[in-house]
Amino acid sequence: MPTTAETLEAILVDKFSVPREKIYPESALTDLGLDSLDLIEVLFEVEETFNIRVPQDGPAIRAATLQELLDTVTRLVAEAEQAAPQVEQV
Amino acid sequence: MNDRRVVVTGLGVVSPHGSDPATMFARLMSGESVVREVKFETPMTYANVAAVVDDFDPSAHLGAQLRSENIDRITQLSMAAADAAMSDAKVEIGEALRHRAGVSFGTGMGSSTAIEETHVQALTRDPTRIRPLTVLKVMNNASAGHIAARFGLGGPDLTYSCACSSSAVAIGEAYRQIRHGYADVMIAGGAEAPLTYCFFRAWDAMHVLAPIDRQRPASTCRPFDRKRTGLVLGEGAAIVVLEEREHALRRGAHIHAELVGYGSSNDHAHITKPSVEGQARAMRLALDDRGTPAEEVDYVNAHGTGTAINDPTETRALKEVFGARAPAIPVSSTKSMHGHLLGGAGALEFVIAVLALTSGAIPPTANLETPDPECDLDYVPGKGRAGVELRCVMSNSFAFGGTNAVLLARRA
Repeated sequence: MPTTAETLEAILVDKFSVPREKIYPESALTDLGLDSLDLIEVLFEVEETFNIRVPQDGPAIRAATLQELLDTVTRLVAEAEQAAPQVEQV
Repeated sequence: MNDRRVVVTGLGVVSPHGSDPATMFARLMSGESVVREVKFETPMTYANVAAVVDDFDPSAHLGAQLRSENIDRITQLSMAAADAAMSDAKVEIGEALRHRAGVSFGTGMGSSTAIEETHVQALTRDPTRIRPLTVLKVMNNASAGHIAARFGLGGPDLTYSCACSSSAVAIGEAYRQIRHGYADVMIAGGAEAPLTYCFFRAWDAMHVLAPIDRQRPASTCRPFDRKRTGLVLGEGAAIVVLEEREHALRRGAHIHAELVGYGSSNDHAHITKPSVEGQARAMRLALDDRGTPAEEVDYVNAHGTGTAINDPTETRALKEVFGARAPAIPVSSTKSMHGHLLGGAGALEFVIAVLALTSGAIPPTANLETPDPECDLDYVPGKGRAGVELRCVMSNSFAFGGTNAVLLARRA
């Protein structure tokens, strides 16, 4: 299983043509060439990929750096897993 | 400043006959219809005929910032046609020209694919999972906005929607922008990409689509033929670069033709039923626009949809305008070969008329085999005629809603 950070990186590189070498935790989203419309799309892809919902007025919408975005996504993924525990594979 | 001459310096098409204007024109001259069977599997099974743009790759025309899933097919086709027209015109949009250059675009049905996908998603899948940039994809001025952004055009940026005359109106209104001094260069034209399940079904429901000719699907559309049964849908985009004549001459541009007339009228009676008076009035307005004698019109690209009512109505309107000379003027409906591009039809057919002018060649009406006593002009049946000298060409576009638009081009 790739980590949340790896999956987020894959979304940015594959779907939004962000150069991989620009991706650092402290990268400002604007430095990655992502404007506010792009961020909304990134969040939509994140929702699709992780099967989570990003609150309309939550911190993800205001994320300025990749680390802030990753923190919020990681928390939402954890919350979603707690709310609906994965069935153990047999 | 308020009565300037306007010339055509760029031509660009993404048509069912390909994206190279010369090749497209050669195929039309040979009478080749590209109408073929199309099948839908989703959201439901459905088959009909249409003229389709095959093997189209939008990636080269969107630039680095735009993702193709956020750009509807109509905008993809339009941006590619605009690229081609601007390459042909070889005009540099520098700082001096930026605010004197604009876009004038026409579409009847807009972003058909995105509208349909959104409805299918919202009504049959998950309404909370609508793609976030859907509004920007669906809005009717998406094409005009993206074209302006791509080329950095800060002048008028306008979208016209009047059904099947939309892109002819867009070209005519762009001509006025330049003629009356509001711009020096206009990217003008339009597109349609209506080949989606629901839009097809809606046209079908109206009983204006020709039933498939099972033996010869390519011959389904038969304008001016006594056995005509209706129109055939097509998709594509056509864009021209219009330029103030002195501006074009100063930079040594290649001038395809001069746009010498635009006539705009409405039938003002019925939402679909065409009127001889309204059509004839639009043709006369185009002639009177710059005082072109009717005797100098040597080819008419007809609206010629192939419906029962359009073809005799247009024939009567042509006779009213051209009088005794009408039977001597070649009139053809190239819709017989490229289908009806609806909002994009006027621009594509204007490009074809300009190519007729510059090539000295008249494209035919395909599939015209059985004469109709009500349609008794020279429709150039079957094959085109090369080696003719054309002084002026006329392109007719008529629409549901009653909007008639006529464009007139003269040899430069």
